[in-house]
Amino acid sequence: MAGVVVALGVFLLLGISDIPLGAGYDRIGPRFFPYAVAAGLILLGGMLGISTFRVKNTTPKASELSTPSAPLNWVSLGYLTLALLLSLALLNRAGFVVACSAQFWLAARAFHSKRPVRDAIVAVVLSTVVYFAFSHLLGLTLPAGILERIL
Amino acid sequence: METLSALLQGFSVALQPTSLFWAFVGVVLGTIVGILPGIGPALTVALLLPVTFQLDPVYAFIIFAGIYYGAMYGGSTTSILMNTPGESGSMITAIDGHAMARQGRASAALATAAIGSFVAGTIGTMGLTFVAPVMVEFALTFGPAEYFAVIVLGFTTISAVLGNTPLRGLVSLFFGLALGLVGIDLQTGQARYTLGIPQLLDGIDVVVVVVGLFAVGETLYVAATQHEEGTIAKVKGWTWMSRSDWRRSWKPWLRGAVIGFPIGGLPVGGAEIPTFLSYWLEKRLSKNPEEFGKGAIEGVAGPEAANNASTAGVLVPLLTLGLPTSATAAIMLAAFQEYNLQPGPLLFASNPELVWGLIASLFVGNFMLLALNLPLAPLWARLLEIPQPLLYGGILVFSTLGTYSLNNSAFDVGLMFLIGIAGFFMRRWDIPVAPAIIAMILGPMAEQQLRRALAISQGDATVFFRHPLSATLIALAGLVVMVPPVLRWIRRPRQR
Repeated sequence: MAGVVVALGVFLLLGISDIPLGAGYDRIGPRFFPYAVAAGLILLGGMLGISTFRVKNTTPKASELSTPSAPLNWVSLGYLTLALLLSLALLNRAGFVVACSAQFWLAARAFHSKRPVRDAIVAVVLSTVVYFAFSHLLGLTLPAGILERIL
Repeated sequence: METLSALLQGFSVALQPTSLFWAFVGVVLGTIVGILPGIGPALTVALLLPVTFQLDPVYAFIIFAGIYYGAMYGGSTTSILMNTPGESGSMITAIDGHAMARQGRASAALATAAIGSFVAGTIGTMGLTFVAPVMVEFALTFGPAEYFAVIVLGFTTISAVLGNTPLRGLVSLFFGLALGLVGIDLQTGQARYTLGIPQLLDGIDVVVVVVGLFAVGETLYVAATQHEEGTIAKVKGWTWMSRSDWRRSWKPWLRGAVIGFPIGGLPVGGAEIPTFLSYWLEKRLSKNPEEFGKGAIEGVAGPEAANNASTAGVLVPLLTLGLPTSATAAIMLAAFQEYNLQPGPLLFASNPELVWGLIASLFVGNFMLLALNLPLAPLWARLLEIPQPLLYGGILVFSTLGTYSLNNSAFDVGLMFLIGIAGFFMRRWDIPVAPAIIAMILGPMAEQQLRRALAISQGDATVFFRHPLSATLIALAGLVVMVPPVLRWIRRPRQR
């Protein structure tokens, strides 16, 4: 965790050179705040690292870092990742209804649903109803995709 | 008197049929999302933004406020019946509320929560009515230096109070500040951290972040850790609160309101703190503290009153200073900005029908919520029978819908998913998400005010200490950071 925080800070620091200096009257330009945020993140990451180190060396129950180490359910995470990636890929190509039906059905798998047929029906009905309600009644633009001629 | 006539004018807006209709929509939606675990008011308001933009701003904010209030009512239902809070502000209610439900007193617990919410919500809204004009007078004296000092104070208290340790709160805060940096610098027009991606020039939309952190992050976390399914306590018939229930409830309601309102108005973020304080106080004052944890009605009445009063309190700094103190308030501020409205003292002068209409509709919404929640609680509880796979599938679909329709861009959806993964790790590492959202909104404001203040003082940084008001605020911010570690340091040797 500490590493991620420091890395984000370093990333911000490296990005500062890409920010052109404004030619305004400003005493502190567009680079000042990024410097402050980057410095803060690196400092916080360091402090997190130190507190982790200290906790490990003193009592195991100290409060600063009690990372919950419940085992992760990787199958569920896999299903959800697939749901997100697939719906993203399908959204503009196959349209909202297809993308969201797939997303819904895969998410239901991630939550250990034992009724795939019911889930599929709910997925298609919900996505279609939402599509119609929001694009036809509420005036939003949603991608129709491959179902363009039917819907 | 001026306030009363302004409020009357507000009621003339709030009692129009259209306003009543939207207030009803808001409180029903609020109750639903309050009851459903996994969806909160911040997420709901964020998802509704694309739809509500087609409405007049008055109606949009009437809906938002209804959702915010309604979620506080609905959250208690889930806490009492399922022992998992529907809302973070109802966490503490679960302890005694669920114990009461197991003893077959669920309806008494639901009733004291609903009536307490109504009493405290009304007191809180009255507080808002009379404190806001005073705050406006005060806020008119603010210059950039004072605004910057207030935001700094907000940053320190939010990060110190939310989350288990200040360090984690600060990590979240700086994450939000970093997200807020992306896009064109308002002062000079230079692009920052856009990585050459044109969609990032306008910055990252706060809706994308809220939906990512709350909806996707939460879904991933729940799926990955999978709690056992909670059991719903059956509400058998409708038994009214007994006379002793009333006798034991009314004082906690009032005390909860008195605790909740001012703390909601302080920049400590949201409804959790006042509910904890109220619970602690009721336990202290009770003649039989050993009942707490085993179904003491005071442990439901006090916190449920406190969370509703705090919601009214949150609106004070939001409307008078443009300073959000909770995630929902941060989203509402973003909504104001989309309408090109700047909350603050001038809003009261330029849009009185909006501000006072909103405040009056809070009174109306409270009545509606009491009517909806008191007799219909068992009906609302049926919502909890939605199977978890369908609930979270639905949350994802609506997240995709809301994010996509912001700018009709699949890029935003992808970004939202990425932020959701970050949100998953924040949950896993016990880093609170609310400071990130508040910081993302306040960061750019702080930067602007800082640079404006320095431009006015011609680069003299002592300006923040020479103005008495900003000096006081900065000193307070310093105290918030310094005092807890110092106290711990003083106490440590004695404990050994």
